[in-house]
Amino acid sequence: MPEVFIDGKSYEFEGQPKLLQFIMDEGLELPFFCYHPSMSIPANCRQCMVKVGQPVKDRDTGEYELDENGERVIRWFPKLQTACNFDVTDGLVVKTQESDELVERAQKDNLEFILINHPLDCPICDQAGECPLQIQTYKYGPEGSRFEVKKVHKPKRVQLGPRVILDAERCINCTRCTRFADEISKSYQLTITKRGDKNYPTTAPGETFDDPYSLNTVDLCPVGALTSADFRFRARVWEMNQTPSIDVSNGKGCNIDIWTRDNQVLRITPRHNPHVNDYWMPDVGREIYPLFNDNRISRPSVILDGENQIKSSWNNAIETFGEQMEAIKPEEILAIGSAHASVEENYLFAKFGNLLGISTPLFTPHIEPGSGDGFLITDDQAPNTNGVRLLGFEETDSKQLKTAVKSSNAKMILLLSDHLIDRGVLSADDLSGKYLVMFATNESETTKKADLLFPITCVVEHAASYVNVDGRIQRSFPAKETKYTNRRLDLEMTEGRLDRYGTKFDNWVTDENKVDCLPVWDLMALIGGRLGLDITYEGGSREVIKEVSQNMPAFSGVTYERMDDELGIELDTEHQTVKS
Amino acid sequence: MAADWRSFKPVLIPDIPNLDDIDVYIKNGGYEALKKVLSDDWTTKSVIEEVKAANIRGRGGAGFNAGLKWSFMPEPDGGPRYLACNGDESEPGTFKDRMLFEYNPHLFIEGSLIAAYAMQCSTIYVYIRGEYIDWIKMMDSALNQAYEKGFIGENILGSGFSVNFYTHPGAGAYICGEETSMLESLEGKRGYPRVKPPFPAQKGLWGRPTTINNIETLANVPLVINNGADWFKNIGAENHPGPILYGISGHVNQPGVYELPSGVPVLDLIDEVAGGVKNGKKLKAVIPGGSSTPVLRADQLDGVSMDSNSLREAGSMLGTAGLVVIDEDTDMIDLLWRIAHFYHHESCGQCTPCRDGTGWLEKILLKIKNGEGEVKDLDLLLDLTTQMEGRTICALADAAAWPVRHTINRFRDEFEARCKKSVHAIA
Amino acid sequence: MKYEFTEDELKQIEVIKARYPEARPATLPVLWIAQNKFGHVEPDVQKLVARTLGLPEAHVHGVAEFYTQYYKKEQGKFVLDVCTCLSCQICGGYDILHYLEDKLGIKHGETTKDKMFTIQQVECLGACGYAPMMQITNGVYVNHLTREKVDKVIHGLKNGEMPEFEPMEMRKVKPQEN
Repeated sequence: MPEVFIDGKSYEFEGQPKLLQFIMDEGLELPFFCYHPSMSIPANCRQCMVKVGQPVKDRDTGEYELDENGERVIRWFPKLQTACNFDVTDGLVVKTQESDELVERAQKDNLEFILINHPLDCPICDQAGECPLQIQTYKYGPEGSRFEVKKVHKPKRVQLGPRVILDAERCINCTRCTRFADEISKSYQLTITKRGDKNYPTTAPGETFDDPYSLNTVDLCPVGALTSADFRFRARVWEMNQTPSIDVSNGKGCNIDIWTRDNQVLRITPRHNPHVNDYWMPDVGREIYPLFNDNRISRPSVILDGENQIKSSWNNAIETFGEQMEAIKPEEILAIGSAHASVEENYLFAKFGNLLGISTPLFTPHIEPGSGDGFLITDDQAPNTNGVRLLGFEETDSKQLKTAVKSSNAKMILLLSDHLIDRGVLSADDLSGKYLVMFATNESETTKKADLLFPITCVVEHAASYVNVDGRIQRSFPAKETKYTNRRLDLEMTEGRLDRYGTKFDNWVTDENKVDCLPVWDLMALIGGRLGLDITYEGGSREVIKEVSQNMPAFSGVTYERMDDELGIELDTEHQTVKS
Repeated sequence: MAADWRSFKPVLIPDIPNLDDIDVYIKNGGYEALKKVLSDDWTTKSVIEEVKAANIRGRGGAGFNAGLKWSFMPEPDGGPRYLACNGDESEPGTFKDRMLFEYNPHLFIEGSLIAAYAMQCSTIYVYIRGEYIDWIKMMDSALNQAYEKGFIGENILGSGFSVNFYTHPGAGAYICGEETSMLESLEGKRGYPRVKPPFPAQKGLWGRPTTINNIETLANVPLVINNGADWFKNIGAENHPGPILYGISGHVNQPGVYELPSGVPVLDLIDEVAGGVKNGKKLKAVIPGGSSTPVLRADQLDGVSMDSNSLREAGSMLGTAGLVVIDEDTDMIDLLWRIAHFYHHESCGQCTPCRDGTGWLEKILLKIKNGEGEVKDLDLLLDLTTQMEGRTICALADAAAWPVRHTINRFRDEFEARCKKSVHAIA
Repeated sequence: MKYEFTEDELKQIEVIKARYPEARPATLPVLWIAQNKFGHVEPDVQKLVARTLGLPEAHVHGVAEFYTQYYKKEQGKFVLDVCTCLSCQICGGYDILHYLEDKLGIKHGETTKDKMFTIQQVECLGACGYAPMMQITNGVYVNHLTREKVDKVIHGLKNGEMPEFEPMEMRKVKPQEN
């Protein structure tokens, strides 16, 4: 196999890798700013300088020429080369900053140039703490500045679009944002304007950067030149905690990170998954984060006098549910599952009904034809339509569901997390005379109609799986504590610095943001207990998915471990008996 | 060196009135070279070989053997191939190609057609800087004449070879003289030089094989075809043969463009050709080939001639053979600041060292010019030049760095005299 | 103000487009057509060019901003581009620039109140042997400037007389006297 020598060590390689990517893939390091593995390579930041040389071959024999010590004779390139666009070839010798003083010096020189016109406003810059320029300056930059003349001044606080704000002085002209708009989102809304050190990215005059993927440029920006209008000045990144999850705003299931502080979700960013969303996600997927914080259902509610919902204790709510169930025949109960809820939740919902002799739940997909873009925004508005299908739920259209609900046979309706009135499937009248038991995360017109309302955990409070439009099952991790969870005890949860060391004397440490809700598996155990059913899962959702994988052929072999290791698992959706 | 330059008769722009008229050009043997190469006596390969043997070194400044450059084009695959002629001519001190546009456009057209034939190009573009609007018009009318006579277009002279030929205007950007930046500009974009590899011969205009040649370079081609490579090689300096359009400007009595063999001694060019330094002043320095070529002090010029070897030995370069003659009254700090201002203004802004380095150089020089600099600033400037040189996609950073380094080194006393006495210097 | 191209101009643009395998290379030539017609390429003109060529507005804007000859805002009727670069610098380019500034009562980069003149200081225009010199509104080169010549040119322009093109012939080496 061909080999390349980096800082004196040999590495084998396959194919035709570029040097910078190869170095990173090997776990080594080179500083860089403009390079991005999913976009074209402009080699404009000039930061990833290395020294490279080729072994000299004898023209006649094709053998490597050797020096007096028996070492290969190397012909060095006369100039340092940028690694990002340099092809790795057999026998190539590379010296990085680790082994070559000139390379180290060149990288330092380059950072000095970058910094002369960059404002030193890290203390008020949102990017600080996750800033490639800041990090690489610490690691590779000059110790002081020799710049004693005036910096170039450029526009600041420019609202490029509804979601993105530009500080042109911080820009280092890496062109990642313009390349993103040209090559990835293809909105072509950005250009670099002016020339030389007056350069900066902008839209055409009077145009707004309303690209549905605009916030990806904020992630891409290696400095604080592009910031999120929403997240700006909300939090220092080191105060937050980062938890992997899945975008539930549509059917694509973009892999994301949930950023929390004091159990509030403050922002959502994409997480790399080459099988689903690469490095990107749509802006709408980020904008839904208030759903996880605000308008949450906390504590169960019951309707006592026909109109007004009042909060209730868990014991009372469960007892009420028990009494209602005992007073009704299973065939008078209609169960409606939800493409907005996870595989585990739907499975337990169906299992619960099944144990009581209730028929298989119905569900109505939440599709808005024409709203998808063929990229990361889908017509499907729900994250788990395929999951519900694979569980064998009876798929109905809106009309059929309405008919079923209105049928005189249905006296009680068990509804899992689908705001059917709000999305126009049902009207409030359709539910009149029915006893509606709803399991939901957020208040809505639909939940208002619930005679009995159980608050359940949302995607950022539990570990659960979702099957995307392409049949890929992926899962979330709990990012926010509920009233009943504790991140120090729950091994699925991660802890940020503030989570771990924060005390009540710190800003941003309160108990205020923990919702009084339960995951469906814990709730079902309680309800089951009341009704004499054994639906207990000591291991939580991890145990639920284990049971799903054993009982449901479509999910055979699915575990959290595999989902974590393989960035989700592609399920065989075609050969399952799934109604389309 | 071959025959004395004094007996040389111009061949690129011979002294024939109205040569820009195609009929006059034809009457004087014009387009014979094209007919020759399109005849059965020549093949595309033999044209390239002849041009390569002549060693026409690129007249745009880089000095690369034109025929060798042509030979880098891959074998034709049926797809489009391009010749892009570089008439951007923006290096300060350079003003020669416009002479060809104005006085002998058909020689350049003919040379381009021969080049296009040799490389089997389907379209020729001549990129001319936007400021040269009058010369673009001249080229357009010369091209129209050539189209009418059937030298351009379909099935040229019944040979089966077809090519189109268009002018393309620039709009004010020095960087577009850099060959890949010019391709970007031709493609209608901001003039950002491209990363190489791939080289234009592999992936040029619209990803297709493309060769870029300077105007004067191409104008030499018909001369080589008509007279042979040996004839050409016997003109002027051995390492850089052929006629050269010298642009002489600055403090001389007779500034302008002169056609002479390569290798004319610099001092002869100033004293004999250009009529000596103006107003009887003493010569202080010469910039031999456009603003990026290192300045030479008058005392460095003895025996130095205008060919690449001699100039390299003297510590400079031939560049575009645009000499700027500088007299004893000239303030070298002002001069260098203005050159630095030029490169700062013209940096495209792509690469960090150039984008930020050119501005830094200018700002320090302005400080020194205003008497506010310190000696340590001179050393910082020198340091910055090494930080910029060889670290960017194109050579603009080098072009900005060289004059700073060499002007300071060669006129250090003058720069130090302008600096404030720093605390350290007093001690 | 609404900017449009005439049928003839659109035809001319089609001819230009036909020179290239795609529309984008026509960006520079069509910006020129627009500037020659409207006197500038302000944002609305850039939009017209983008619309006409079917190209993104941001692209056309980026191109217009890159190239210095495009006027991104309206200029005086006559734009006096005075070269002060290298050969022009050492041959008195700044004297000419400052003389013009004093004469017209504006600094470079400014336009006279009557919108007649704009002065710009520009980089090398490729007329180094004829220094100092200036170009008028991206058009004619006026070479070998002196104060007297500047006076004459300005006087002429005020009367609507554009200086004529000055051919600068090849220099011939004078035979040596000895």
